[in-house]
Amino acid sequence: MAGDALIAATGLTKMYRMGRVEVHALRGVDLTVQAGEFAAIMGPSGSGKSTLMHILGCLDRPSTGRYVLDGADVSQMKGRQLAQVRNHKVGFVFQTFNLMPRLSVEENVALPLKYRGGIRRRDRRERALRVLDRLGLGDRIGHRPDELSGGQRQRVAIARALVGEPAILMADEPTGNLDSKAGAEVLATFDELHAAGHTIIIVTHDPNVAARAGRIIEVTDGRVVA
Amino acid sequence: MGFFDSLLTGLDEARRRLGQTLLSLLGLVLGTASIVAVLALFGGQADTTARYLAEVGGAGTIIVRDRELPVSPTPAELASKRLTLDDAMFLKERSRTLAAVSPGWTLHLRYQAPERGLSGQVVGTVPDFAVINSIRPLVGRYLSDLDVERQSRVMVLGWKYADSLFGSAPAALDQPVSLNGTLFRVVGVLEREEFYFAAWGGNALEYRNERSYIPISTAFAQFADNRRLSFLTLQAHPAHGPQVASAEVTSLLYARHGVEDFDLTGAGSGDADDAQFLMMFNFIFLIVGVVSLFTGGIVIANIMLASVVERIRELGTLMAIGATPGTIFLQMLAEVVAVTAIGGVAGLAVGTAMTSLVSKFMRLPAVVTPDIAMLGLATALAVGLLAGLYPAWRASRIAPVEALRA
Repeated sequence: MAGDALIAATGLTKMYRMGRVEVHALRGVDLTVQAGEFAAIMGPSGSGKSTLMHILGCLDRPSTGRYVLDGADVSQMKGRQLAQVRNHKVGFVFQTFNLMPRLSVEENVALPLKYRGGIRRRDRRERALRVLDRLGLGDRIGHRPDELSGGQRQRVAIARALVGEPAILMADEPTGNLDSKAGAEVLATFDELHAAGHTIIIVTHDPNVAARAGRIIEVTDGRVVA
Repeated sequence: MGFFDSLLTGLDEARRRLGQTLLSLLGLVLGTASIVAVLALFGGQADTTARYLAEVGGAGTIIVRDRELPVSPTPAELASKRLTLDDAMFLKERSRTLAAVSPGWTLHLRYQAPERGLSGQVVGTVPDFAVINSIRPLVGRYLSDLDVERQSRVMVLGWKYADSLFGSAPAALDQPVSLNGTLFRVVGVLEREEFYFAAWGGNALEYRNERSYIPISTAFAQFADNRRLSFLTLQAHPAHGPQVASAEVTSLLYARHGVEDFDLTGAGSGDADDAQFLMMFNFIFLIVGVVSLFTGGIVIANIMLASVVERIRELGTLMAIGATPGTIFLQMLAEVVAVTAIGGVAGLAVGTAMTSLVSKFMRLPAVVTPDIAMLGLATALAVGLLAGLYPAWRASRIAPVEALRA
């Protein structure tokens, strides 16, 4: 069973050095996530849940331990290799949307394909439009991010995360900067994506958000406790 | 992402931050402009100097001068008659490498025309003088071999003197002029000669308009008590060149003097003081240009660095969605290069405008040739590339987690 897991992490640790102080953000995490799961990572601030998210999303590397994502051991990768893993296998959704303010909605969504390379402009555009249509943003493709509501922006960011057809969708407090109505919209989007078979991991400290997930991963003091 | 895509993205980025872009370019624009202007002026100057040298005799000209005697001269040195008209005649007769031999004796005499008089220079010389100095009569003729042979009392007036003595240059033809009381007939008036290195330099050839020429034989017969020359100018035969001719002249003159009490020099040395002054002027401009470019490069590097810090979240996000460090490096570098290309073109335009202004108001010949334009652009691009390396490297080292910074 573990061999088929989308995410298979064993003994992950992460140690920072802040001046003279060593901070152990993760103290040995074992975690398995199956394809199609919708999981929420929860925990108080400082628990290490963000660090875990960074490592699972390949934004950062573990100090020790082994992390296999979609069959590839990424724990020793860095630089260019890791960037390619992020591009192909991970779709990341940020709390603050992180759209490029000077690019149009369509250009923002097509950006991961542009950095992937080897995909023609017309194909990039077509794929971006398809994802935007699916998320109900087909009429916003020429707008700039600042012409959109918060909920719309976050859905554009989700479209950007999805356009490269990643193995896993990761979201870091995706409703943290949204009012409840927009937040509900975004969560509904995640529900739909989960129903369509996407694997989703959300970091949140909002129990209402976590309640949507089929599984809750509780992190405390750098360890997964549940 | 390929190199071309990086370049496009960089260009796009530069266009989107146009204000900042233009501000960062000021130093580069000024630097490129002054380098372009200086090179254009340099080019014009070199051209002018070459034309001046051609005007006063060209590269094949050899000037023979008496060497200054040492403090305690040897008997041989004391015995020498120095450079004389006989030396010149000897060279003319014996040399096989010279195309022209132009001896001259310069003196200061009183000119008296029927209406007016003045004091000024008289040059006793030969027809070859006109060959070497490429001077042309406005009216009448120049001195002839017959004039020299017969010691004729004829005179060729420079333009200015003809104008001063007779009210208009052509009116002087066939008029009598006495030099210190000896009557001469004006057989020719020369064209006005002018040459400007620069507007403030005045006419570098004006001295030629303010004198007259008489046969050297007449000059010695009427006014001299020896036959020593004021100058001896030679023109090497093109088939032999000045080196061979100089060697021959040295041996011929040594044979006559028994001692080497003369010096041979090429034409134009020391003649082009104005040109040298301008060279220095240009050099200062060039240094200013290089310093501006250097400063411009530092400014660009600084603004790029600030822009990298300002965009750290944006760049982190690009990393997070899968941009490789190499791509980010290329993209930032392409951005700088695109920006400096704009700066280079602007600098070229400003430089061209500066050149035509300077050239118009200072009456300096200068033109921005395609070579100079290419060099200016290439310099700007090189500066941009160097200035962009460090900021681009810094940008490529940004960690993707920076995307999550609040």
